[in-house]
Amino acid sequence: MNAGVLLYCFNTESYRYDKIAAKTVPLLKKNLKLPITIVTNMETFKELPPLGMINYKIIEHEKGNKIDNKPWHNLDRWRAYSISPYDKTILLDIDYFCYTNSLLELLDVDEDFLVHDKVYDLTGRNAYTFREKSAIPMVWATCIVFNKSKKAQEIFDMVGYIKRHYPYFCSLYRIDFRNFRNDYAFAIALQQLGGFTGYNTLPTRLPTLPANAVVKEFSDTHIKWEMEGRSGVIENTDVHVIDKGVAYV
Amino acid sequence: METTELKKQSDRSYSIALAKQNALEKAKSKQILAYNGHLFLADAHTINLVKVLKEQRQEFIILDSNDNPVLIDKSDDFLEKLIAKNQEVLNTYHQEYQQFKKLR
Repeated sequence: MNAGVLLYCFNTESYRYDKIAAKTVPLLKKNLKLPITIVTNMETFKELPPLGMINYKIIEHEKGNKIDNKPWHNLDRWRAYSISPYDKTILLDIDYFCYTNSLLELLDVDEDFLVHDKVYDLTGRNAYTFREKSAIPMVWATCIVFNKSKKAQEIFDMVGYIKRHYPYFCSLYRIDFRNFRNDYAFAIALQQLGGFTGYNTLPTRLPTLPANAVVKEFSDTHIKWEMEGRSGVIENTDVHVIDKGVAYV
Repeated sequence: METTELKKQSDRSYSIALAKQNALEKAKSKQILAYNGHLFLADAHTINLVKVLKEQRQEFIILDSNDNPVLIDKSDDFLEKLIAKNQEVLNTYHQEYQQFKKLR
C-alpha cells in the first residue's frame, strides 16, 4: 500500500501560500519522508520555489468563497479523494508544520477516515470555543487521514454535495459562520453518513497557534511567537499556524 | 519591588507555565500507538488494563481509542510496546520538566 501527503496551495490576493509551502514541504520531507503531492493552480505553481522531488496536480480552482472579506480558495478540498494518488493519504493544510514523525503512526491503522474533533490552543488562551457557534460539533479538516475506500469516497462526495448547498446546511445546523468552511462540511458529512450516531476521530487534539499569535521566528526545529506582549516557543511539536504572516518570517 | 519587575516576573511565570502545559500536551499526543490496525493511547489506563487482563487470560478483547473491540492475542508483545512508547514519551517530558524547574 502506498502512502503520501496531499497539500492544497492556492495563492490569493492577500496571502502567499507558495511561501508557506516553501516552509511546510522541507519539514514533511525531513520528518515523514513520504511522497508529497501539491494541488495547486497554474498561477501559484509559477510562484512556487523548487521543492525537490514532489508531485504537482494543477487544477482550475473554484472561486467565490471569502474570509474576512478576502478571497479564500478552500472550495476544492472535497476533491481530495479523487485527486490523491495514494492508497493512504495524509491530507494536510499547507500551514500545518510537521516537526515530528507522529503522523506516521496513523498509517498503520485500519480506519478509512480519521479527523481531529478537538483542538489545543498553544497560547494557553483556549481561543477555540466554537461549540456554541452551531448546532453541530465542528471537526478540524486541517489533518485528515483516509484510505481509498468506499466509505472515504462517500464522505468526500457528501462534502461536495454539502458545498453545493451550503446556505441550506448552514441554516439547518444554525452555523454562525456563513462562509463555507470545510470544518463544518466534514462534520455534517460525518454526522449524516454515520446515521447521526457518531464517527471515529483522532484521539489527540490538534495543536494550533491562533491568528493573533504572530510568528516571529521560524526554523526547522522551532517557531517563536508573540501575542499581546507575551511570547512562546514551540519545539518538536506539530503545529497548525493560523497567522498567514508566517509566510514572510 | 518595582511594578515593572513584578510584571516581568508575571510574564516569566506565564511563559514557564505555558511551556509546561504545552510539553504535557505534546507528551499526551505522542502516546498514540497503532497496534493490529487500531489506535491506542499508551497511557497508564491502557497499560494497567492490559497488565491485569494478561494475568487472567492468554487472549482478551479491549477497546481502541474509538471504542472498537480488538482481540489481543500477543499480550506480551502489546504490553511491551505500550510500556516502551509510554516511557519514551514520559522520559522526554521528564527531561523538559527538569529544564522548567531550573527556570523558576
